[in-house]
Amino acid sequence: MKKKRKESTEIKTEDQVRSQDSKRKAKGTVSDDGVLRPVKLSKKELYKAPTVEELNQLKEAENLFHCSILKMQMEELLKEVALSEHRKKLVDSFVQQITDFLQCVPESEVVELDDISWLAGVEVPFLLVPSTAKGKFHMEPPASISLVGSYPLGTCIKPKVSVDLAVTIPASILHPMDAINQRYSRKRALYLAGLARHLSFAKCVGSLHYSCLHGNRLRPVLLLKPPGNDSSKVTLRIHAIPPPDFLKPSRFHPQKNNIRTEWFTGVANTEPPTPHYNSTVLGDHLPLSHLQFLSAISAQCPAFGEGVALLKVWLRQRELDQGAGCFCGFLASMLMAYLLSTHKVGKTMNPYQLLRNALHFLASTDLTENGITLAKNPDSKAVSRSDSSIYLLFLPSLPEFHAAFSVVFVDPSGHLNLLADMTVFTYKRIQHEASLSLTFWDDPTVDGFQALLMTPKSMLRTYDNVFKLVNLVKLQTSCKKLLLLNELMDHSGNYVLTALPFVLSLLQRGLGERIHLLVHSLPQDPEWPVDSAPPKHKDQPPLSIGLLLNLEHALSVLERGPPADNPKAAEFRQLWGSLSQLRRFQDGAITEAVLWSGNSISHRRFIVLKIINHLLELYVSILAVCFICTCSWCVFVPQNHTTGEEESLEVVQSYDDLSRKLWQLKDLPLSITSVQGAHQALRYTQVFPPVPVRLDYSFFEKKKNRLGLVPKENNPCPCYIAPIKVIVHMEGSGKWPSEPMAIRHVKAAFHICLRELLCNQHNYRCHATPGYLDVWKDGLVFRIQVAYHREPQILRESLTPEGMLIYRDNAEAQALELETLHKPFLTSTLHGLQQQYGCFGVVCRLAKRWLASQFLLEDIREEATDLLVASLFLHPAPFTPPSSPQVGFLRFLHLLSTFDWKNNPLIVNLNGKLTAVEQTDIKNDFVASRESLPTMFIVTPNDKKVSVWTKEAPSVQMLQRAVMLAAESLRVLETRLDSGEKQDMRVAFRPPLEAYDVLIHLDSKQVPLLAKAVDPPVNTFQRGTHGGQPYASGGALPVIDYDPVRLYLSELRDAFGDLALFFYDPYGGTVIAVLWKPNAFEPKPFKTSLMNARRVKVNDDVATTVPNVEAILQDFRIIGEGLVKRLELRTEKWVV
Amino acid sequence: MAPSADQHARVIPGGFTVLSLRFSEDDAHAALHQLCVKEHRVRAESSTNRPLDRTLFVLNVPPYCTESVITEMFSRFGPVQSVELKERPGASEPSHSGLTKHFTDKHRQCFRVAYIVFRHASGVNAAKRHPENVPLVVSTAERPVRTGIHKWIQQYSDSLIKASSLQQDIDQFMNDYDRQKEEVSVIEGSVTPPRSQTAPRTHIGRSLISNISSVSDIAELRKKFEEDKQRIAVLRAQRKFRPY
Repeated sequence: MKKKRKESTEIKTEDQVRSQDSKRKAKGTVSDDGVLRPVKLSKKELYKAPTVEELNQLKEAENLFHCSILKMQMEELLKEVALSEHRKKLVDSFVQQITDFLQCVPESEVVELDDISWLAGVEVPFLLVPSTAKGKFHMEPPASISLVGSYPLGTCIKPKVSVDLAVTIPASILHPMDAINQRYSRKRALYLAGLARHLSFAKCVGSLHYSCLHGNRLRPVLLLKPPGNDSSKVTLRIHAIPPPDFLKPSRFHPQKNNIRTEWFTGVANTEPPTPHYNSTVLGDHLPLSHLQFLSAISAQCPAFGEGVALLKVWLRQRELDQGAGCFCGFLASMLMAYLLSTHKVGKTMNPYQLLRNALHFLASTDLTENGITLAKNPDSKAVSRSDSSIYLLFLPSLPEFHAAFSVVFVDPSGHLNLLADMTVFTYKRIQHEASLSLTFWDDPTVDGFQALLMTPKSMLRTYDNVFKLVNLVKLQTSCKKLLLLNELMDHSGNYVLTALPFVLSLLQRGLGERIHLLVHSLPQDPEWPVDSAPPKHKDQPPLSIGLLLNLEHALSVLERGPPADNPKAAEFRQLWGSLSQLRRFQDGAITEAVLWSGNSISHRRFIVLKIINHLLELYVSILAVCFICTCSWCVFVPQNHTTGEEESLEVVQSYDDLSRKLWQLKDLPLSITSVQGAHQALRYTQVFPPVPVRLDYSFFEKKKNRLGLVPKENNPCPCYIAPIKVIVHMEGSGKWPSEPMAIRHVKAAFHICLRELLCNQHNYRCHATPGYLDVWKDGLVFRIQVAYHREPQILRESLTPEGMLIYRDNAEAQALELETLHKPFLTSTLHGLQQQYGCFGVVCRLAKRWLASQFLLEDIREEATDLLVASLFLHPAPFTPPSSPQVGFLRFLHLLSTFDWKNNPLIVNLNGKLTAVEQTDIKNDFVASRESLPTMFIVTPNDKKVSVWTKEAPSVQMLQRAVMLAAESLRVLETRLDSGEKQDMRVAFRPPLEAYDVLIHLDSKQVPLLAKAVDPPVNTFQRGTHGGQPYASGGALPVIDYDPVRLYLSELRDAFGDLALFFYDPYGGTVIAVLWKPNAFEPKPFKTSLMNARRVKVNDDVATTVPNVEAILQDFRIIGEGLVKRLELRTEKWVV
Repeated sequence: MAPSADQHARVIPGGFTVLSLRFSEDDAHAALHQLCVKEHRVRAESSTNRPLDRTLFVLNVPPYCTESVITEMFSRFGPVQSVELKERPGASEPSHSGLTKHFTDKHRQCFRVAYIVFRHASGVNAAKRHPENVPLVVSTAERPVRTGIHKWIQQYSDSLIKASSLQQDIDQFMNDYDRQKEEVSVIEGSVTPPRSQTAPRTHIGRSLISNISSVSDIAELRKKFEEDKQRIAVLRAQRKFRPY
């Protein structure tokens, strides 16, 4: 640690040495608004002779860390979590006060153990099951009081500063035989209650609560907080411990019994071993010796404290450091001590290396199979006589530990398994997290610091499916059903902890290949005031079960078992019960199998839920209603009955057919060089993919000359048929003219030509316009647009007066490139991404549905959203790529609400084309020209400098609003999902309308997408469609791309865009929200260029103008004649 | 319809007369738009499209007023010869000659200015003397102006065009185009304009060298160190190192 300090001071002196001038510059680079500015160093500074220290320092930064920034980041983080001197003083004085106060606990009379009348007003923190207990008890001042745990060791970190105080129970209170039948534990609880009663008179105590250590109800602790403002600064945990060497550790060998069956169940029986109870009692004996051990180790390694602190932060971000069976900070210290004592890490390593090695050890060592021990001679029973400890003679061996516990890490004494309460599933989760973290660390393109230490990984955002186990009291019966009475006794009646591993391993067997990982949340430590009774086991909040799905198998409808004559068949039948049937397969095999129903992908997503429900009902008698599947709500949001994944597929198939037919067309003057889809539906990300329709002709007017159908005036607006855009590139040739206008005409000629050919050769009804050709096919409309690859270039050409040909970029050329170059490319790339990650499309659609419902989709456009979602799949750190819609959606909201758009470009490395060096260059270029770049800057391999999809929008204000709404929606969704009750998740899809000035309510009859609304009305009107199979070709041309609301909006924006903003949910919204621009109502001087929609006022011969609000509102009605139902004015909000 | 004695035209500073405009005559209490009119007087312009004495310049024309609507509305002041609508005041541009209706871009539906040319100069004066409290009416029973759903359906119906008529347009344009090209090549003797020399900018790729040897490497590392330090400072300022 000293070395570190020294280095950092050197940096400072370096700084001071630098000239005053450069200092000013360096300061100037960081502006007040927290925006990065490019660093400017003079040549002199860059090329001056280096000092040795500087060389070393730079070298270390480059060699050990990927770059110096990681080292600095870690140092900053450590500064943030370390306790300040002020805080330490506060803690020390508080501990001193409490210690002094505890020394004078009054003695009390000896009473029976059952008699708790002397504790007036204070409850005993213990569940008395069974209620009878023999023995005597009295209060006496503690034999000693000492600090233990992280605080004296120096590994205590913010934010939850808890300081452990061990209070030794005087030997006179205890009896040597108290280890049997929870007598010791009860006395310990009574002693704590006695202390609590005494402390309740203390003035220096702010609040007084009970809790228990890591969910173990036999080990209650007393939580003290200082009064007043300091209450949040520290929590003092008082543990009662027996005198050292009071009980013989050999009595607590994992194979020994210390709870008599007769006492616990009332029925005499064989005495099974009680390993968990044993380790509970044993654990109380050892805090002091553990502290000594750790202090000795940490004295050898200067970076020990900081290394442990980093590991603790890592654990905390993964919710692994608290609750029953957790990997707490104490274990982090023990692990580091193990690594040091076995020379797996060196004593001179820095905190960064310690963390890395610890993670590497966790990732590569399976403690469920090969346990580790800190004891000196773990397996040798023949100990050298020189060792004074006689207990070593009776040390249990590692296999004995493995037989009793699922995860093994033996403490220095050799008697205690530190990981006694941990389940296999939790350890596997730690391993998974550790190896995942290492891959992120090794990837130079990932910000390892953010991924490892800064991003919280809550269950909901980490796992693809999260199930809530709510009715925990049912686990009591499952203990009986699974024959777990001995285990229940071992866990002293805590049926949740008893049954959990068994239930989970059942699920693991049932889910098999469908999942990569099965994890559970750790039951959290209850906390209750000292004057109320301890909460029951059933009062626990619901437990969560998280799954990482393996999408290759997760959605399969068939569970194929072993052949009927295989001995394993019986096992399979037993697991699945009545669902298992003998089936004959096409390959001739006759095997046991379970078949699940599920026609669509969305239904098949429920198979995992069905399996879990089936197994739980069968074995645990937990009914299906106890489970809340957090993915169910997602189904209902995008489309009313299906999630639309099949529809997307149908569209893509129809497109493929069209594409083939286009390629095969004969008699074209020029040949086709490419046919590319440029529509969201062709990359599976259209919110509501186009559905093939069959038309009811009587619903429409027919235009003469068989041109097509036209909406009838008095009917509801016909169903919306979205044109699916296809770009067809024609080969380059000398025949193309070299003038923009002429090219447009030639393209139009091609549209007509294609129309003739498609019409004659395939009988498709087509409509050619100068800009495009609509093809009516399979009940869908494809909009073909002919493109010429040199056209954008030609648009940029212009002649100078001198006759020079120069290139000048212009909006028209850019727009054309966007349509004919960027869109098709994006579509094909993201199409590929969907093939790789099955959930990509659904997540995009959910994200866009959300943006649309919050009126944001016009600012954050569809392509930008698709890229945002793509980044979740391509750069998932610190998670794995999402495999279910809901987790993807939650992460989308999180990304949108937390990404630092001001200082970072979002790099979406499609197809992995960008190298690390290129990415660094992109970041540097970004910082160098931040001001001139869009607010939201998204980089792809084909678009490194411009960010084409976010160039126009969103503005800073809209992005801020999006960030705010995303954060709020995420909060609402997560609290609802976490509560474990079935609730309507559509709440996040309903926009707040309070902030707007005018609401234009629309006639729902004229809203074509009414049925897709978040809350669709009962009557969504007949819109001119039949049920039934759509025709593959022929028929009259339908009404294409006719949406009166969109036409209305564009007219409103054209006319009043200077004065107001208009917001609308394009998917079935019936309200247009209007917001006046902040300075719209300021009077302006009269000018001929500034008179639109304003009226004139003359004061003292000066003419000023203000918006003519009444007339504008009148115009809202006039322009939207037949569409607008009523205007709702929020006049209180604005003054004219 | 001469103004009566108690009704005077309202003239504001700047010389504009304020006229009022109502969409429909049915609704007597509806809010009114204000049109500002003035004779067109621009010294520099010598356009034949806008003869100075007969052209009325109108501000704040609502989007639903098309050329024909304006012609009808202003005919009360005298026979109208032509109407030109523009998004902002300015010199008149020659309309795209040779472009057929299928290829002309649609204009934005915003408030515009109008240049109305009357047959006689008296029309301009009559308009300028018109009192504010007698509003002009856009849509009347005889010549209703369609907006909203009616208009959009009409628009949609108009957008359906026959391929043959489109083909005709194209043929016409291409014939003109080819003829023009021929003429140009005859006159100039087909000279292709020279291309300006723009040397492609070479991108110097930087690579990180693992062991520090040369001076430039140290400089590189120093620069990076400074950059990183600055990044940290910004993040620290934003309290970005609080892990939770």
